[in-house]
Amino acid sequence: MSAVAGAWRFVRRRLFRSPLRDVLEYVLLLVVVFVLVSISSQRLGYYWQWYRVPRYLFTLQQGRPVAGELIQGLLYTFRIAAVSLVLSLVFAFCTALLRLSQSLMGTALARVYLEVIRNTPLVVQIYLLYFVIGPILGLGRFASAVVALSLFEGSYMSEILRAGIVSLHRGQWEAAHSLGLSTLDTYRDVILPQAVRRILPPLTGEVVSLVKNTSLVSLVALNDLSMQARVVSADTFLTFEIWFTTALIYLAILVPMSLLVRWIEHRVAIPS
Amino acid sequence: MSEAGAQDYIITIDRVTKSYPGGIEAVRDFTARVRRREVVVIMGPSGSGKSTLLRCLNGLERPDSGAIVVDGVPLDEDRAHRNEIRQEVGMVFQQFNLFPHMTVLDNINLAQMRVRRKTREEATERSLALLRTVGIVEKASAYPAQLSGGQQQRVAIARALAMAPKVMLFDEPTSALDPEMINEVLDVMRDLARGGMTMVVVTHEMGFAREVADRVIFMDGGQIVETGTPAEIFEHPKQERTRRFLSQIL
Repeated sequence: MSAVAGAWRFVRRRLFRSPLRDVLEYVLLLVVVFVLVSISSQRLGYYWQWYRVPRYLFTLQQGRPVAGELIQGLLYTFRIAAVSLVLSLVFAFCTALLRLSQSLMGTALARVYLEVIRNTPLVVQIYLLYFVIGPILGLGRFASAVVALSLFEGSYMSEILRAGIVSLHRGQWEAAHSLGLSTLDTYRDVILPQAVRRILPPLTGEVVSLVKNTSLVSLVALNDLSMQARVVSADTFLTFEIWFTTALIYLAILVPMSLLVRWIEHRVAIPS
Repeated sequence: MSEAGAQDYIITIDRVTKSYPGGIEAVRDFTARVRRREVVVIMGPSGSGKSTLLRCLNGLERPDSGAIVVDGVPLDEDRAHRNEIRQEVGMVFQQFNLFPHMTVLDNINLAQMRVRRKTREEATERSLALLRTVGIVEKASAYPAQLSGGQQQRVAIARALAMAPKVMLFDEPTSALDPEMINEVLDVMRDLARGGMTMVVVTHEMGFAREVADRVIFMDGGQIVETGTPAEIFEHPKQERTRRFLSQIL
């Protein structure tokens, strides 16, 4: 109960600081956007047909809502994002520990991985995994896309994680060691709980960009939200409507997610 | 002292040298022994190698050469030896180094549960007893940042004691404290010494040394300049270097 009330207070504080002014600003913005869009569509001679969009979100069949192409695409995007998130956290974690390890091989391996992944475009990586490495390892379409995304995001997340770990005062390590805690226990009980708290904001940024980057898997013909949007807009010529809707769907997913993480951050803050 | 067998010495430090990258020798060819139940205070100007020496004693620093034996266990490359020694040697730091994301109670419970494999109930029982000894049992569920410096240092002492160590090392335990909080920490340390704990203390607290120490070691340049009872060192220092240092801190 109190958690819900707390969450609501948090959202209210963030969103409605000074109601009247915010509302006025918002209305003004809408007017400007509306004017700009109508001018440009007039110039293009675009004929808006918003009424044709809803069926690509939901249709009613025998009184029950059935997901249209865009929502189906969104669900597929969720699947890719969820699997990639777990996998990229695993990559990030292992790479960060390797880079911080004493092992020469370990640090070298981690550095090569980081340099290669971060200095090549994601699109190229997706193609390479799908066309070259995927067939060799017997990876399917979905698996190779997920692995490519996870390798990419994992490299950025690992650097964030490493920075979080390194930023802790070395006294924390020394205190843990002087108590006889093993390295594993020290990471689990002392270092990671503090490091993760510190890196939540930049990590959220990476999760957001992971969800956005799932749109690139449409390159290997996976039916994610972007792929479906491409198909639907090609079929219907509702280019503006479909792409605006698609953008709104991404926005509608990612904004609440960022807010959620900020709320978690606020919940796990260390009392002082 | 000559009739004391090797068993009576809980710590032997034999010709230990430790230098840092850049070639600065923090500890040079240092030899000393500590008896059971003895309280040794190490003094000396900053940069004299006191802290480095102390940190070598529980493996936080690895000496370049020389041997350290704690309670019959050699502190060497063998990780099992190092872990064994760390479990028997408690350390209190200048900056407290409490775990800020844990309550006071969890700070003290952690090693008991992870290293000694106690249940939470067993650990809590001992932790609360220790918090009573250091006089802050009412702060058990507080977080470190909610405590004063003196309180934090007392928690840090309780945390080290939770492992039932045979030796306690103190690295300038009162140097980061406001003056009015120094005594509450020194009182806890006095009680500990009276209780028969073997202690090696790096400190500039002359009053504490005079009252509690069995022996004072005065260090400079990584070596022992002079060693003796507090009375010998403070009243009749033999070395000019010791005299100069004492005149500065008095």
